[in-house]
Amino acid sequence: MAGNRMQKIGSVFSRTRNLLRIGVIEKPLWFDVYAAFPPLREPVYRLPRPRYGKVKDVIPPIFYQEDEVRARFYRIYGSGPRPFDLSQSNYKSICQMFVEKFNELKEEGKIEEEKLFEETGKALLASGVILQRRGTDKVARQDHQEVETRDSMSHLQLQTALGEKKDEEEQMPELAETQKENPSPS
Amino acid sequence: MAVPRLLRAGGWVVPSRVRPGPARPSDPRVSLPAAAPRLYSTVPAPAAAVRPRAEDEKLLSEPLSHPDFFNVKELFSLKDLFDARVHLGHKKGCRHRFMEPYIFGCRLDQDIIDLDQTMQHLQLALNFTAHIAYRKGIILFVSRKRQFCHLVESTARDCGEYAHTRYWQGGLLTNAHIQFGSGIRLPDLLIFLSSLNNVFEPHVAIRDAAKMNIPTVGVVDTNCNPCLITYPIPGNDDSPTAMELYCKLFRMTIIRAKDKRRQTEVFNELRRKAEGN
Repeated sequence: MAGNRMQKIGSVFSRTRNLLRIGVIEKPLWFDVYAAFPPLREPVYRLPRPRYGKVKDVIPPIFYQEDEVRARFYRIYGSGPRPFDLSQSNYKSICQMFVEKFNELKEEGKIEEEKLFEETGKALLASGVILQRRGTDKVARQDHQEVETRDSMSHLQLQTALGEKKDEEEQMPELAETQKENPSPS
Repeated sequence: MAVPRLLRAGGWVVPSRVRPGPARPSDPRVSLPAAAPRLYSTVPAPAAAVRPRAEDEKLLSEPLSHPDFFNVKELFSLKDLFDARVHLGHKKGCRHRFMEPYIFGCRLDQDIIDLDQTMQHLQLALNFTAHIAYRKGIILFVSRKRQFCHLVESTARDCGEYAHTRYWQGGLLTNAHIQFGSGIRLPDLLIFLSSLNNVFEPHVAIRDAAKMNIPTVGVVDTNCNPCLITYPIPGNDDSPTAMELYCKLFRMTIIRAKDKRRQTEVFNELRRKAEGN
């Protein structure tokens, strides 16, 4: 029984076809099936060479319009009060509810741009969701004054830093990628 | 560039005009081997099937004329793939260069596989598997993921096919005639439910199947090399939901194909009897 074990030359199909043409093997079971339904790419061996010089990333990053709102939410409120339950495919997190409320209020158009964020927070509070601002302690209001006097300088620095970051965020160019969120079945 | 090497490999017959001069057919001591097959084992392996009759030929060739004879398209939808988290790949740093055409985008450094392409590839792969099963081919499931070894083995048992989810010895395919004795029939299709081994290198069986001219179907994640796999399926191979989906799809196609074959044979038998009467 002849064969061709050179896996780096041609594909399985081309080697078998040539061996058949010579007449040294019998037609294998899969040959006709492959000929009738070939794959999208012929399975030829390619050497995985490393890239040299500056490597261009050909894969585009995925961003949505709602990501701006999400980024602001996470920066101010931290990760939401409720942990994510990923076992349900239709689970809606606090952040997602926030984003949807934000979009609703934006579409209504009665509120100004700057106030939208706070208004959404208030709307969520009204519907029963408690949002805890990041950086404040839940514990011991008694130490509140001490903390303030001691860390007032660092607190100021933090606020200014946050303020700068917020400006940077708003100036960042928006990368709008429309992708179907819930893909329709084919 | 590759052509001269190919001609030297295997049995290439020297065409008559290139043949060296004297001491040819007139010389009784010299016998022209022409394209004599070289026997690597003492006994040649038995053929998979005897020369088929005209009816059997029709049985085998008729399914090839339909684009989707076993209707594998209805077994899965894009929503099923999405719910089973088939689109989730590894992080950007783990990406293999040759998987780039199959990746849709990168969400916060995690690769997302393009499910439209996965649908096409999955349909081709399932169709091929079904045809091989219809022609009574031997299918071997290979996976080196310990988490899913039991799932793969039970899937193979349910189909009536074979699985190998343990350490792959070097000469299993390439040295089969010596390890298992002569007269061994090698698998006609290898299905990889995870194309990496335990140390995140390509599984040896991919290279061995390509050496032995055995086609392969394999699920390739974003850190795998899809080059040598005949019918790659770009998709997640780490989530339990995704693996259960693949096992379910393969099991259903193989059982469907085998049932179809049995039905057609019974039908032909009955028709032959009716015609005989």
